Amino acid sequence: MSQPKLRLREVRKEFAHRGDTFVALADATLDVRPGELLAVVGPSGCGKSTLLDLLGGLTTPSSGEILLDGRPVTGPGLDRGIVFQQYALLPWRTAQGNVELGLEAKGLPRAERRETARRFLDLVGLGGFADRYPHELSGGMKQRVAIARSLAFEPDVLLMDEPFAALDAQTRESLQDELLRIWRATGATIVFITHGIDEAVYLGQRVAVMTSRPGRIKAVVDVDLDVSAPDVRSTDAFGAYRHRIWSLLQDEVVRAQQHELAPREDLAHV
Amino acid sequence: MSDLLLRQRAHARPAEAPAEPAVLVPPRAAHAVRRAGRLAVAVGLRSVAVVAFLLLWEVAPRIGLVDPVFLPPLSEVLATTRDLAASGQLGEHVRASLVRAGSGFGIAVVAAIPLGLLIGWYRTVSTVLSPILEAFRNTAALALLPVFVLVLGIGETSKIALVAFASFFPILLNTISGVRTVDPLLVRSARSLGLSPLRLFQKVILPSAVPTIFTGLRMAGAASVLVLVAAEMIGAQAGLGYLINAAQLNFQIPEMYAGILTISVIGIVVNYVLLAAERRFSRWRA
Ligand SMILES: Nc1ncnc2c1ncn2[C@@H]1O[C@H](COP(=O)(O)OP(=O)(O)OP(=O)(O)O)[C@@H](O)[C@H]1O
Ligand SMILES: [Mg+2]
Repeated sequence: MSQPKLRLREVRKEFAHRGDTFVALADATLDVRPGELLAVVGPSGCGKSTLLDLLGGLTTPSSGEILLDGRPVTGPGLDRGIVFQQYALLPWRTAQGNVELGLEAKGLPRAERRETARRFLDLVGLGGFADRYPHELSGGMKQRVAIARSLAFEPDVLLMDEPFAALDAQTRESLQDELLRIWRATGATIVFITHGIDEAVYLGQRVAVMTSRPGRIKAVVDVDLDVSAPDVRSTDAFGAYRHRIWSLLQDEVVRAQQHELAPREDLAHV
Repeated sequence: MSDLLLRQRAHARPAEAPAEPAVLVPPRAAHAVRRAGRLAVAVGLRSVAVVAFLLLWEVAPRIGLVDPVFLPPLSEVLATTRDLAASGQLGEHVRASLVRAGSGFGIAVVAAIPLGLLIGWYRTVSTVLSPILEAFRNTAALALLPVFVLVLGIGETSKIALVAFASFFPILLNTISGVRTVDPLLVRSARSLGLSPLRLFQKVILPSAVPTIFTGLRMAGAASVLVLVAAEMIGAQAGLGYLINAAQLNFQIPEMYAGILTISVIGIVVNYVLLAAERRFSRWRA
């Protein structure tokens, strides 16, 4: 097989916690293939966002290494785009201006920025909303702008942290379909973090299941589904994948709850 | 003082409006005020209180509620104001005051905004400078007036310096808080695009702090007029503070009120201009 797009080797991330160290991520090992859409599911607090920050270069691992195209990740860069859960749009910029932000970072001339931003707003179906400020957009539209912003500077890898979690079910499903369409259209590698099993099965070609405290990659499940089939979420095959991932997560959820009741135990792992 | 200014709402009357003797309004006057109130509702609720106040000012001295010698009716004050303006005297005083207030305010803006940005962004700068700034901030500007006069003389320099000092802190403190309250998520998201620290500052920190900085500018605008008038009352040959004080000493009561009225109007205009600029720069807000 070709070289992985992203490779995590025994990545560990510790945080200082009241004079102690708290292990948020331990020995996370994972390969992300070029052009795949990998979903990552795990219980709340298991270190998903920590993992994404590491991939994005916003933080550095305590030990282990992260390779992008075989080269170590040393910081943020325009080869990776991040879509955050809370949109993170600049409120003083219009949809257009927000999409242009990454293009400014890339150093594109003004005319080219305008044209590119328009193209990507069109791609996410917001061609008519270029002049709107974030407060004039719905949650789903804001997230589309955020996606357009991350796509516009054409990163190789798109990192998404529970991007649809704050949306209602219908908006979420339509954005999921849109994401799949965009993914096919752009050929980007996508790491999609979610706590929704259905979302992971629906979107992911593979689903990485994380354990909690300390966070580890417990298993990676290959998903072989034709999601273009009508109402695929009700099919037996879909249900089987859902059940498998649910079972993998089940003991983790219970464990996480036990830890929440006795938080000092976290430190015992160190 | 800055607390008071903070609470002063955008359209509130400036604090230096003529002091109104507290009197109970008898039925006849109350009726007039009510009629005026109804009239004003048609114009707009916003002007009700102002119109009522001006009317009270006109009526109270005329019906003997207050001694017209100490509080001449509004119309008389307006007539005096017109005469002063026509003779060019008022313009002279206004110009003198505005030049001082504008220079001091300008110096404060140029010094306080960059310093505030540095303190807000760099923790070390903040740790080093905070104690000294805290000490100065809690020193009432007017308490330093004698020092300024002693060091800088009685002329323009000491007045401008005093205005600069008084305007400096509202701008500084608001700039600091503007920088500190930038949404960390926006910073993270901009960092994820690989923006350099300078670009991050220019594209995220600064625009995000602008509305808070403008609040500081408005507070500073009010503060600069306030201390300037006080300074002009003590040692000056021109300026609205001088006009008010000199008029009072010479018992030219309508002239005194003309000066006060002019200051109120200037205060309102300054606030309005800054508010308009603020809107211009924060159109994106809901
Ligand atoms: N900067 C930090 N300092 C200290 N602890 C942190 C920090 N960031 C995260 N943690 C801890 O690391 C653990 C993992 O956090 P993380 O945000 O990665 O979880 P998550 O899987 O994204 O959770 P959720 O699904 O709720 O978003 C949590 O227990 C959290 O308290
Ligand atoms: Mg998270």
